[in-house]
Amino acid sequence: MIEYREFLYLAVTLCALAAVMSRNMLTAAISLAATSIGVALVLFDFRAPWAAVFELSVCAGLITVLFISAVSLLRKEEPFFAEDRTRFRLLPVFALIVAIGGWIAGWPFFEALADYARFGARGQSLGSMLWESRRMDLLGQIAMLAAGVLVINSVFAAKKAGK
Amino acid sequence: MTISLLQYMLIPLFSALLIPFVARRRGKLAEIFANVTLLAGLINIGWTLLSPAVLASGFSVLAEDGFSLLMVLTIYLVGLCVSFFSASYGQGRGVNTAYFYPLLLVSVAAMCGVVTSTDFFTLYIFVEVLAVASFALITSDDGREGVEGAIKYYLLTFPASAAIMLGLAVMLLSAGTFSFDSIRIIVYSGASAPALVFSLSLLLLGFLVKSGVVPFHVWTPDAYQGAYAPVSAFLAGIVTKISGVYAVVRIAMFLRLFETGAFRLSEVLMFLGMVSIAVGAIAAMKQDDLKRMLAFSSVSQIGYIVLAAGLATPLAFIGAVFHLFNHATFKTVLFLNSASLEKAAGTRDMTRLGGMEHPMPWTSWTSVIAMLSTAGIPPLSGFWSKLIIIIALWDAGAVTYAVLALLFSALTLAYFLIMQRRIFFGKKSPAAETASEVSPALLAPAVLMSAVIVAAGLLFPYFFSYLAETIASRMVL
Repeated sequence: MIEYREFLYLAVTLCALAAVMSRNMLTAAISLAATSIGVALVLFDFRAPWAAVFELSVCAGLITVLFISAVSLLRKEEPFFAEDRTRFRLLPVFALIVAIGGWIAGWPFFEALADYARFGARGQSLGSMLWESRRMDLLGQIAMLAAGVLVINSVFAAKKAGK
Repeated sequence: MTISLLQYMLIPLFSALLIPFVARRRGKLAEIFANVTLLAGLINIGWTLLSPAVLASGFSVLAEDGFSLLMVLTIYLVGLCVSFFSASYGQGRGVNTAYFYPLLLVSVAAMCGVVTSTDFFTLYIFVEVLAVASFALITSDDGREGVEGAIKYYLLTFPASAAIMLGLAVMLLSAGTFSFDSIRIIVYSGASAPALVFSLSLLLLGFLVKSGVVPFHVWTPDAYQGAYAPVSAFLAGIVTKISGVYAVVRIAMFLRLFETGAFRLSEVLMFLGMVSIAVGAIAAMKQDDLKRMLAFSSVSQIGYIVLAAGLATPLAFIGAVFHLFNHATFKTVLFLNSASLEKAAGTRDMTRLGGMEHPMPWTSWTSVIAMLSTAGIPPLSGFWSKLIIIIALWDAGAVTYAVLALLFSALTLAYFLIMQRRIFFGKKSPAAETASEVSPALLAPAVLMSAVIVAAGLLFPYFFSYLAETIASRMVL
């Protein structure tokens, strides 16, 4: 049975691979955002809320909005440079080798990290920690998402109108 | 942030999320929703600040941060004027109201988030929300200039964000917190002073770029000139003040608490303020485009605020905060009127305007009130804030700065008098022959703001008592 932490590692790795290997830039930007959300959850899990809030705010929030805005400004008919993608096909194999190596050599390190997380947790849940210490940042995230959705919609509307 | 101030951020945000659904087919509903939301917020904050009980107590019963409350009032005031003006101005210009008004409300929510946040990281998040919303607002109409202005605005303020993030990282490493109160305690204790001064320097650098202070002012004239006209008023009137100048004043309040080192930073701030006053005023004199001239004038006026913030005495902070409020009011009038002039005469080129007072008396006289206030003519509000800044400089022994500030105030008066003559008075131009006064809906915001400028000047003792009671005595001393 996969535990929560292992699931997060797996999800982050898969999303990161999808971000690099995707041919569609919008999919790549969304995969990158998903990677950042996963990394933020890993950081929360290791009781590093500040680092997690930074990751969530800047990488998952702001940078994704910027990427998606930029992608939405590009025209579909614009020609893209053809690129040799052979090396990207080798990426999952490379990731698998790193994962096996990490499983064998890095596991004690992850166990030690988990001990720190248990020590730092002191019975406080993720939700209460986030809500009590960084409530305003969460509201800022909601405002950022709202701004991003409105920006993308207004840019798409302008594109449809042929401006 | 306390619960009572949270409403000023949440209600416009909620309205912004609602408008695209309810006003998808009826654009008029978006205008109504936005204006009602902003008017309700303005009445609410107005009552909070000016209720008979508060006035009778000499503002001592106000438990909230006086600086934040005044800024929330200013944000709603400028937001309402711009929103109301846009309702008439935007017709036939290809503005998508179902997204324009929500973006305006998100900007208002983000600005309220900035001024009510009590730690640097939250402040930064809301500044970035504001930057994203402003990016789209600048491109609201169907002009190509807007896209260029938006890209310049974003690219040139991007390095500022990088400096702020680096500053936040150093602050977290050195102080372990972003909270204003905790930082204040750490500064008093004298712990990690050099690292903390370094982190505040990086934050200051970032916010100075966002303020458009010389030598980081290159993006302001292009962004203001290229933006959709009501958005220029919004940017110049309040957005750059909140995303940059507000934070500079906040940081300056911390710098004065350090015993050593940070004094140098305060001196640099004063010097940059003085250079901005001079460069902005001289550059404004050479412009022919009205919006570009107003943009340089903004650079000059922001210089006064930065100069006072750098001086960092209680009186200087009173002057800086009051000038911040005044600048928001008179710059909004001038930019909205420049849009009205462009609509009526078809140009912003001052060489092609002249004698506009005859066909557009309301636009002309509200502009004259705003210009005279900017130049510091009594009894208008701008006179009092400049007077306080100059007295604070003189009082603190910065006589050279005080004299220079006075001289450049005279130069401001000179270029505004020249501008008045070129646009409103003198010989009637061909543009003035065909132009006519804009509709009452476009005039109303400028008339309201002009009334605020006159009232703030005439009721200055109340303003001074508010600023002294809620800012100088609680935050500075």
